Amino acid sequence: MLNETNLGLIFLSAFVVNNILLIRFLGLCSFFGLSNNVKSSIGMGMAVIFVTVMACSISWAVYTYLLIPFKVEYLRTVTFIFTIASFVQFEEIIIKKYIPALYKAFGIYLPLITTNCTILAAAFLGIDYRFSFIQNLVFTLGISAGYCFVIVLFASMRERIDVSPIPAGFKGVPIALISAGLMSLAFLGFKGLFKL
Amino acid sequence: MSAQHKLVDTKSFTSGLWKMNPILYLMIGLCPLLAVSSAVKDALGMGVAVIFVLTGANVTISLIRRVVPSHVRIPVFIVIIATFVTTVDYSLTAFSPQLHKNLGVYLPLMVVNCIILGRAEAFASKNNIINSALDGLGMGLGFTIAIFVISAIRELLGQGTFMGLNVLGRNYTPFIIMLMPPGAFLVMGFLIALKNSIERRGQKNVK
Amino acid sequence: MKKTEIFTGITVMFTVALLSGYLLAQVFKITRVQIEKQKKIEAERLNKEMFPEGVNFVETEQQGLSYISVLDAKKNQIGMIFEISRSGYGGPIVIKVGIDNNLQVKGVRILEHNETPGLGAKITDNKFLNQFIGKTGNELSLRKYHSEGTIDAVTGATISSKAVTEGIVEMIEKVRSLNIASSPYSNILPEEEKNKKMGKSQKGENN
Repeated sequence: MLNETNLGLIFLSAFVVNNILLIRFLGLCSFFGLSNNVKSSIGMGMAVIFVTVMACSISWAVYTYLLIPFKVEYLRTVTFIFTIASFVQFEEIIIKKYIPALYKAFGIYLPLITTNCTILAAAFLGIDYRFSFIQNLVFTLGISAGYCFVIVLFASMRERIDVSPIPAGFKGVPIALISAGLMSLAFLGFKGLFKL
Repeated sequence: MSAQHKLVDTKSFTSGLWKMNPILYLMIGLCPLLAVSSAVKDALGMGVAVIFVLTGANVTISLIRRVVPSHVRIPVFIVIIATFVTTVDYSLTAFSPQLHKNLGVYLPLMVVNCIILGRAEAFASKNNIINSALDGLGMGLGFTIAIFVISAIRELLGQGTFMGLNVLGRNYTPFIIMLMPPGAFLVMGFLIALKNSIERRGQKNVK
Repeated sequence: MKKTEIFTGITVMFTVALLSGYLLAQVFKITRVQIEKQKKIEAERLNKEMFPEGVNFVETEQQGLSYISVLDAKKNQIGMIFEISRSGYGGPIVIKVGIDNNLQVKGVRILEHNETPGLGAKITDNKFLNQFIGKTGNELSLRKYHSEGTIDAVTGATISSKAVTEGIVEMIEKVRSLNIASSPYSNILPEEEKNKKMGKSQKGENN
């Protein structure tokens, strides 16, 4: 099954075929909140890549070397969310100190990255697929890169939509949802691109 | 949210249903909403799980709100929510394995559902137990109503069925795209547009 | 931040985490029994559905092939149940298939899949799965590819249908080549049962 496939396929599968935003519907809160302009979407995308890869590697190690040997797998959810929350805190301090402009752009969304389902989902899915450490690394990189890719694409699209004449009732969120639907339709075409 | 000073305020319950509906107005908690809304049965299961966790977490947090120092409140809230979510997760595996399988990874992901943490932070940490319970119930119900409507539309158009029962007859050609991910976005978009138009009309009438 | 504040913070956090861990351990303990029971019931239900006359279902391994051997009231093997995994369109499809001693299919169930809802997901419908019943290896092929084929693929889901069909055919051919079905059932009985049986048959000869 998935275990025997090579790293490239794992990456591609997480990146486009099962895109976390458009096919798996995860991380949508920040997706609609932050995709108003390209600049902040790039920042958020990068932050998500960084946190996802690091936090998921840590939680993978915690699960494999702590939870399994002590037979306390039922603490999985609590432990993972804790690992992620502490990591986000750490990243927040760094960005605040070194890139204040970016920190301003994120506003309330940076603390919310804790509740960004992308990260926790990547951690869960990596465990569910029984990946090795390296596979898990590539997988989480694929997922978060997929997030970044789509949110930037979507933000550029929304900048165009904002200046287009659309029916009053559809302004704002509804038209964003419908465009996301059309994008999702396009991404559906990647399914069956290769066999896992 | 003017429930601060009253012991029991019905507004804590009703505001979640339409005006402040977590989905249609606040636009949070979208992930499970879109992901498990292709069949009405699963959607209702998800709705009940959300009501349970939201009410439970709200009550617990309201109970301990005076003991928890503010600088550790978020991690404490998250641990409490995660405890409730894991309980639901294991109970469902035990008593309804099929539903558990259908909800998949979206069930444990309820931990990071913005509705739940959002209500804990914005409401339960500032209000008494009864109002917090009512707020949890109201918001949970608002979520359930929204996911029910979306799943009903998707299942009806996508399979011609409702709760697995054939409604539209044998000759109905299913609109399969509705069952797939794009369908969720489209239905949701049109629903919000509908809500916006209704409110716009209401405002015009007032003027 | 004062030292006492940090201290209370840590104490509260620690207490909450401890309580949560304890509660979850209890939940896990209670539900585990039920989860195991459910799994067993579900597996037995599927086995019984394929082989209503089966009495004992023994997990067996022969020549590197593990399967469930179905025994009737007289402890004769009347069939075998296999679990196979095969890549479909959206990921692995896990198939449970029962065959009798003549290598004819007794029943097929899809345990897990990730096919497109509304299209590939229809491989779980009885309409598709019942086509396999009563047929053996060389009769099983998609009508689309072989004029003598007996299986109609699900509309719009040739890859999924092909995966299921090929998985079953391959499995049957493997069983045929390993000659497991015709091997005496006594191979798979535990030692003492075998002895008892030998004793009985000797008695039979004496009579």
